[in-house]
Amino acid sequence: MRPKTLWYFGRETGYGLWRNGWMTLASVSTVAISLFVLAFFIVLSVNLNHIAATLENEVEIRVFIHQKVPRKTELQLLKQARGWPSVRQISFFTKTQAAHQLQSEFPDQKALLQLIDQSNPLFDGYDVYAHHPAQIPAVARRFRRLPVVQSVVYEGLVAKRINRVTEIVRAVGWGIEALLALATLSIISNTIRLAVFARRREIAVMKLVGATDWFIRWPFVLEGTVLGLIGAAAADVAVNYGYRWAIRAAVAAMPFWPVAPLHLVLEHTVGVTVLMGLVIGGIGSLVAVRRFLHV
Amino acid sequence: MIRLEQVDKRYPNGHLALSGVDLVIRRGEFVFIVGPSGSGKSSLVRLLYREELPTAGDVYIDQFHLTHMRRSQVPRLRRQLGVVFQDVKLLPQRTVGQNVAFAMEVVGASSREIAKRVPQVLELVGLGRRRDSFPHQLSGGEQQRLGIARALVNNPVYLIADEPTGNLDPDTAQDIMQLFLEINRRGATVIMATHARDLVNQVKRRVLAIDHGRIVRDELKGAYHEA
Repeated sequence: MRPKTLWYFGRETGYGLWRNGWMTLASVSTVAISLFVLAFFIVLSVNLNHIAATLENEVEIRVFIHQKVPRKTELQLLKQARGWPSVRQISFFTKTQAAHQLQSEFPDQKALLQLIDQSNPLFDGYDVYAHHPAQIPAVARRFRRLPVVQSVVYEGLVAKRINRVTEIVRAVGWGIEALLALATLSIISNTIRLAVFARRREIAVMKLVGATDWFIRWPFVLEGTVLGLIGAAAADVAVNYGYRWAIRAAVAAMPFWPVAPLHLVLEHTVGVTVLMGLVIGGIGSLVAVRRFLHV
Repeated sequence: MIRLEQVDKRYPNGHLALSGVDLVIRRGEFVFIVGPSGSGKSSLVRLLYREELPTAGDVYIDQFHLTHMRRSQVPRLRRQLGVVFQDVKLLPQRTVGQNVAFAMEVVGASSREIAKRVPQVLELVGLGRRRDSFPHQLSGGEQQRLGIARALVNNPVYLIADEPTGNLDPDTAQDIMQLFLEINRRGATVIMATHARDLVNQVKRRVLAIDHGRIVRDELKGAYHEA
């Protein structure tokens, strides 16, 4: 494409956006809102994934022993459990060690740590790893049946449930987005149709003096994609500031909650929103121009 | 060469505008298409720049077979043609110069070509000093000249005009006529649908008379009416 032609397309695009004024604003806002909703669901699923991943990285089974059980019994059980075929690895921790671990994980929670120092309410216990995730429930049951065991927690189960929830959130998100995309598509298409209608005389003359269909289409398609891109940018800016705020609020309220970092969220949202903005804008304007080209 | 073979044109409302039209126009000719209102002149002209397609028969212009060409080929055909429309079809928000330049931009001409060619053409049609005016500031005759300038700017092989002197006073019509003759002398084939009896009789060129959609007369040095 010649620079002259590019310049022509750019000029016509800008002219169209400017002349459409309020409709431009309306389309950009619709795109922005629609893509923001999409981004919201992405943020949700990124966070659920993050939680699941965090949990999976942690100990697979954690067994807690009743407080009054003597150390000798605890070590006997440790030795015994090492011989179980499903157990890949098992290590013992005392409640003091558990307290130290808490202190290193949450150095800011002064009040909590003070409480632990005064009268340690934690339990002794074992970190147990199975050979295979499928063996985890059986191993957990075996521990739970022992009278000395106070409780058994295995996060793998939680992680699995979170993964299920993530899948549902994603499906619901895309379902809602598909509806929103249709609505957005029609708004963009109408905006471009107005632009085309305002210039139908020019288009007719262009066709009659020998302009190709694509020569006529390009400025409108560009106009549509620019609308889509501006909308996507607005949505991403909103996600950026909204998420920063959400992180601050979440950390203040639930310090132990593993919140996905901002860069991870943006990595997932920016690409998808920009792509969707481009696609919706481009398709919307192609649909709008189609009818007017049959001169 | 323009060739029509057994061309019928029937509109969706059932009106038969052209019927069994056979016609050959060679390069370099000057042809008037005459006939009463509603005789089919405009329909014939619109077939030539493929704004309409015939219901039956074939239309050929040079290498193009208009009835069987792909949509993507239509721009190539139209670049061979310059069309002066009955309603002129000027762009009101653009100046005289821009209206002409527009036709060149659309076919991808360079800025340099446009800057060189537009003043030449405006000079030819006598609008050299009106370049920065807007269409509504022009008289009817000037608007018609502007339409002609736009049709000429891409050096068409065929210049097709539908009632170019329709709303003009006799003197202005005379000027426009002289302009078409000049363009024809420079090599372009001119096809003009018209009501202007005096002009047709005065210049003695080929006359095609149409009535009720049929060609009823084809004379090489004809008059508006049969002698």
